[in-house]
Amino acid sequence: MTIYSSLQKLAKSVKYQNLFFASKEINGVRLFKNTFDFSSLQRLFLNYLWNFELIYIALSIDKISEKVLEDEIFWDAYLLWNRKENNKKSAINDKQHDVKLVSGKKINFPNKQRQ
Amino acid sequence: MTEGRMEEAKKTVKMYEENEELFRAEEMIKDNKITFFVEDKKYRVRMLNLAERNELDNLRRKKFGQLLQDKDIMMEKDLIKQYQERGINISEMDERIQKLTAEEVATQLKLGEAISKNDGESVLNTYKETIESLQHEKRAILAEKTLLLEFSLENQLLSYVAQIFTYLSLEVFEDNSWKRKFESIAEFEKTTDDKLINTAAQYSILLQSL
Repeated sequence: MTIYSSLQKLAKSVKYQNLFFASKEINGVRLFKNTFDFSSLQRLFLNYLWNFELIYIALSIDKISEKVLEDEIFWDAYLLWNRKENNKKSAINDKQHDVKLVSGKKINFPNKQRQ
Repeated sequence: MTEGRMEEAKKTVKMYEENEELFRAEEMIKDNKITFFVEDKKYRVRMLNLAERNELDNLRRKKFGQLLQDKDIMMEKDLIKQYQERGINISEMDERIQKLTAEEVATQLKLGEAISKNDGESVLNTYKETIESLQHEKRAILAEKTLLLEFSLENQLLSYVAQIFTYLSLEVFEDNSWKRKFESIAEFEKTTDDKLINTAAQYSILLQSL
């Protein structure tokens, strides 16, 4: 087991997922002794925690394959696909809320004084 | 011991080893320090503070100047040109790596979609095997490229920086307190304790934020 696979195993564990959740909700609950200046390993671990949280949420809401937790290749692929789908959705959403301004067209904004 | 009991014993040993590794990983992330033993002596490496990072920058700048003046050391782009003249094409390697990465991402997206649709195990495993084989080929090319460019100025500088990380961050536990193992870069460069330096370097590089 490499240090990276050990960190993935820890991040996947119920203990650290609960601690991660608590650290976001409860003031004073901390994952590490230091509160700033995180090492590369700590940043990597936070990234793993975040990714596994997303996967657990997807497993509880959607009917995705439980095999996603089995191997790095599976969770990497799912997270990549999920990110791409979310980007697609937010791009569509942004387009729907776009205000189209046509040059040369007079826009009558409501005037408070006239009312 | 019967074969069944032997198997059980092996499983238990493996479980203990795994737990030990997880415990070590936990120790490594709880703060910015990693403690280890070499020949019964207690050592630790830690993340560099601001003053040490400044010292690292100074040493790196000095080394860069020295390397630039050394005519035997070539910059990566010049080394690539030399290889090209000898019929070794590094840009072809880069193109192949790019192509393999694109194929890998495309397969990952298919696999991700298959997971989201809860497709059968055989479908998922087929995609997994394809990704594994693409990653394997990519790693082989990357290893070859790294080996070819090992002596470039850029890589010499990187390996020097890794040594400086070790020099600046290594501490020894003596008389109930932590002290710097090496007081000067000259003292560090003279040391012959390869086991200590290799272990410390391996841990030190994991901590530093580059």
